[in-house]
Amino acid sequence: MASVSPEKTRWMRGPSTPLRGALLGLLLERPGHGGDLANRLAARLGETWRVDTNDVYRLLEQLEKTGLAVSRDEPKRNNHSRTHLVYYPTEEASEALTLWMETLLPREPVRLGLQAKLSVAREEDAHRLLAALRAYERECLMLAQLVSPTNGSGRSWTSLCLDCTRDAVYAQLEVEITWASRTRQRINEFLERSQ
Amino acid sequence: MPPLLSFLNVSKRYPDGGREIAVLDRVSLEVEAGASVGILGTRRSGKSTLLRLAAGIALADSGSVCFDGRDIARMAGSERGRLLRGEIGFMSAADWRAIPGERVVDHVATSLGSEGLTMREARRRAMRVLDRVEIGAACAEESTMSLSLDERARVMLARALAREPRLLILDEPVLLPNLSERDSFNALLRAAASERAIALLMASEEMVALQGVTVMMSIADGELVSTEPRGVVVPLPGRRRSGAERSGQ
Repeated sequence: MASVSPEKTRWMRGPSTPLRGALLGLLLERPGHGGDLANRLAARLGETWRVDTNDVYRLLEQLEKTGLAVSRDEPKRNNHSRTHLVYYPTEEASEALTLWMETLLPREPVRLGLQAKLSVAREEDAHRLLAALRAYERECLMLAQLVSPTNGSGRSWTSLCLDCTRDAVYAQLEVEITWASRTRQRINEFLERSQ
Repeated sequence: MPPLLSFLNVSKRYPDGGREIAVLDRVSLEVEAGASVGILGTRRSGKSTLLRLAAGIALADSGSVCFDGRDIARMAGSERGRLLRGEIGFMSAADWRAIPGERVVDHVATSLGSEGLTMREARRRAMRVLDRVEIGAACAEESTMSLSLDERARVMLARALAREPRLLILDEPVLLPNLSERDSFNALLRAAASERAIALLMASEEMVALQGVTVMMSIADGELVSTEPRGVVVPLPGRRRSGAERSGQ
């Protein structure tokens, strides 16, 4: 990835970047009010993610502050006497989403970030996702080399417990690598079919 | 000095009905002498094909596979055969081929047929290597059919080590239900390879079978992801790598 001005990645700083990125992706698909976006986000990310409507409003405000979304007070569809804020993406939103797809943020829970990206990825993002998945797989492989259990060389209870502790991390990394490589395969197969 | 084993843009396709499937897609890697490389991949990910190409059992459709700087595809069939019986050892846990009634020591000794040894010398070497894999003298005189799964794995390893290979290729190194037996087999394999400076190239569906390797890779859909720069260079054991993000694969 070519060097990018820090200003353009400022919106990715701080916690909840995966959710902010996913919200931006949803806005680009279709504008919406906070409740609508919270429902769409929950449906897209699945039940394992805790999506709080209040958090969604807060994240939308953050997107607006960073110039990626604008809100307009519009009458509600079923009650025209009342209004709500509807959020729209700005002209910068699409480029920002592309940049997020290409960015591996080391301090975020990467898997969550990748899941969020997958949930709103456009077909044109396929190669960015493949690159992100390869990078994630490589990170996990490197960690696996570091935490590799000691091959049962110690025979004491303490060394057994240490091995089991390392094995816990090792097993989790294996799952991550398997997931990332399977996702890579699925995307590659899709691209092959579309050619 | 060339690496012990190198793949450069290696591709392999197999027919599947009316179409062709790319089992390996422009794979590049290098294995230095004495290094140990683990490749993690699910079934049909291309890992066994990669190992068969490394051993010279199959040939690439494009790209080159070189052992010690020599292109395996350019070797005559007999030379490739000698390579596989000598400098390259190949072991697959699913590939147990014992003859009923054969003694363990003879099972190992007969694998030395092309070394120009007398049967007595071959048995002596077989006993030494069986001892190294912790198969005692009494067990060495037993029939191969009486061995437990753990003992079978050790005897297979002894057969591979007896020919003193420079590269040992293992497809699913060990399929043992008992975890402590599997751990001790892994430790034995690493120690035996380290003593003799044998490079290890092994692939498994389970990462636990690859623990302790110096370089880990994963393969999916014939595409390799490695922890190494450019995804190809495999270091000597103990070399430290930077944690920096690598691109280009």
